[in-house]
Amino acid sequence: MKFSVASSELLKHLSIANGAISSNPVLPILDDFLFTLENNQLTIAASDLETSITTKLEVNPDKKASELKVAIPARILLDTLKALPDQPITFTVDEQTFAISITSAYGKYRLAGEDGQDFPELPEATDADSVSIPANVLNKAITKTLFATSTDDLRPSLTGVYFNIDFSNLTFVATDAHKLVRYTFSGIPSELSASFIVPKKSLNQLKNVVTTGDDDGSVLMAVNKANAFFTFGNTTLACRLVDARYPDYNAVIPVNNPNHLTIKRTDLLNSMRRIAIYANKTTNQVIFDIAPNSLTVSAQDLDFSNEAAEQLICNYDGPAFTIAFNGKFLIEMLSVLDSDEVRFELNDSSKAGILVPVDEPDDENILMLVMPVMLGT
Amino acid sequence: MFNRAVLHLDLDAFFASVEVLKNSSLAGKPVIIGGTGGRGVVASCSYEARRFGVHSAMPVSMALRLCPDAVVIRGDMEDYSRYSRLITDIIAEEAPLFEKASIDEFYLDLTGMDKYFGCWKWSGELRQRIMRESGLPVSLGLSVNKLVSKVGAGEAKPNGALLVENGTEKDFLAPLPVSKIPGAGKETARKLARMGVRKVQTLAEIPPRLLQREFGKHGLGLWKKANAIDNSPVVPYHEAKSISAERTFQTDTTDMRFLHDKLNSLVSQLAFQLRKQQKLTSCVTVKIRYTDFSTYTRQMTIPYTANDRPLLAHARSLFDKLFDRRQLIRLIGVRFSGLVHGSPQLNLFEDNTEEIRLLKSMDEIRRRFGSKAIVRGAG
Repeated sequence: MKFSVASSELLKHLSIANGAISSNPVLPILDDFLFTLENNQLTIAASDLETSITTKLEVNPDKKASELKVAIPARILLDTLKALPDQPITFTVDEQTFAISITSAYGKYRLAGEDGQDFPELPEATDADSVSIPANVLNKAITKTLFATSTDDLRPSLTGVYFNIDFSNLTFVATDAHKLVRYTFSGIPSELSASFIVPKKSLNQLKNVVTTGDDDGSVLMAVNKANAFFTFGNTTLACRLVDARYPDYNAVIPVNNPNHLTIKRTDLLNSMRRIAIYANKTTNQVIFDIAPNSLTVSAQDLDFSNEAAEQLICNYDGPAFTIAFNGKFLIEMLSVLDSDEVRFELNDSSKAGILVPVDEPDDENILMLVMPVMLGT
Repeated sequence: MFNRAVLHLDLDAFFASVEVLKNSSLAGKPVIIGGTGGRGVVASCSYEARRFGVHSAMPVSMALRLCPDAVVIRGDMEDYSRYSRLITDIIAEEAPLFEKASIDEFYLDLTGMDKYFGCWKWSGELRQRIMRESGLPVSLGLSVNKLVSKVGAGEAKPNGALLVENGTEKDFLAPLPVSKIPGAGKETARKLARMGVRKVQTLAEIPPRLLQREFGKHGLGLWKKANAIDNSPVVPYHEAKSISAERTFQTDTTDMRFLHDKLNSLVSQLAFQLRKQQKLTSCVTVKIRYTDFSTYTRQMTIPYTANDRPLLAHARSLFDKLFDRRQLIRLIGVRFSGLVHGSPQLNLFEDNTEEIRLLKSMDEIRRRFGSKAIVRGAG
């Protein structure tokens, strides 16, 4: 069978699907793209068994071809297309041996394919409930939460982002037990109530899929017992959910921390970036000395006799006290917030601190929590 | 004249000397400092006791068989630390650069002082001052490097001083038995003896490649030491790389409750030390010695912490993995390594307020009444 397609169009779709190909796949065939041709529609799929990406495009079949499935080595195909200027190219696949030949204006390239029937079966969105989310909201939610996920495989539930759909509220939560982010978007029309955990890696891949399109689109999110499906334009990302119970995060978020400190976000962030240079590189500890309308940020690294301190103006009228944090966490948290001013809601030096933006859009709500470092008595 | 001059000061039979100083009726008698229990070992002994063949690390029961008249004293580490500090203060006042190698050993770098003071004369005066002010006997060795000075001080003992002139180091070491070289323990000496090597001179003449083949990396070091080569600097302050503690039991046991109890108390005492020094650990090691002296260790890397709860849990799981023989246990030990300065990061789900308050209160009690004032029971 034979079909022809514009090389740049194909490359665009292959690059999207390539996100699902892992650097050391479990099965050799997972190094390949699965091409499925039906009439004039070509479906390209790639998978690492955890996540799979399928994307569709129109091609010109040479004759009325029967349905065909073939697996084509990803690396070699991508490299070929990257090195070709935009032009129509023709694929010819031998239906017996799965040998592939590509014809461009310059010449002919042959490579060995495999039977597409051997490609692992991709998950189907059966029994799935679905909801439509604006693409920019999903993107924002991923950016704001992903950094807070854990890498500790001993607690699998924390290695993903927790999605909770409660009718019109969509909540995303991520935590590694030291910091926590809760991002809520209200205003999605939905009849659905569901919660599930999406692995960190899949969300990273999803971020690449969704940003390649324009921001005004929307993502159809479907979920069943084992998988979640995100469809954006003609691309679908399917991923296996983390099969674990998410900890009761609401129980650990303190509700009435009495000491509120308001400060300009960029001032604190820039100060933290400077101070963190002087903190110990393994612990990244910075100390906050809080006094009425004054915040002194300091750090020291005894091993190298490095130390630094800066005094910042803030809005605070509670009792003076000292609290220490991992500076890296604070930098990450402050970086993903958008508002001009942020508010710390603290209790004492050994209890969770809360960081929230002072103003935010009506349909959004974000809360960040950070556990302090225990200072000696 | 010395290009480089290193002085080694070593207090003679330090613990025993302190005891004699405290109680003059012990003077001239064989004194043994060590555990008085059934399994105690000799920590230090006076020269009178050494004459009977008693040496440190020997079981006290055996020492008493060799020297039945010896006075056995449990010893008081706080007293010894106080005397050690007294001497450290004197040295700090006099010396330009010094390293406290242990509670009773010091290295001083006297490079460049020969021209103005005369290293040998200055050293003798320092020794006299220490003896006059502390009342404790001191031996010293002076030479071009740490190694030769240490061996020199060892040869000068008891209560003597030895100068190894520049250029004579090899001649000085040559006639000594190989066991005098620091770092050549019983095993090495035995292996060398089988090779026909008994004197340092012979060792120095062996091609280094041969030693490297027999002893690995250690072999090359041995050869260098035998040739009086030691470039290690006098380092004023050592950052502890790890802290550890171990406990030998009165009687060997397999009583799990008892063992877990001991493990907990070792871990919580070490964790307290960590917190006191404002440090965190990233590696926990547990050691078990069975009744037949076969010793096994197991370690794991963990996220930086100094809190009891995670450390107890990790130590416990290591211990349970390690203890797989149906055999009596003689000793258990715990080591924390990979230390950095810092305070523990609190955990959102596991560190509740009570736990933190308990930890802080326990630390407060320990600070006031000593590290053993309060311990955790087996949980």
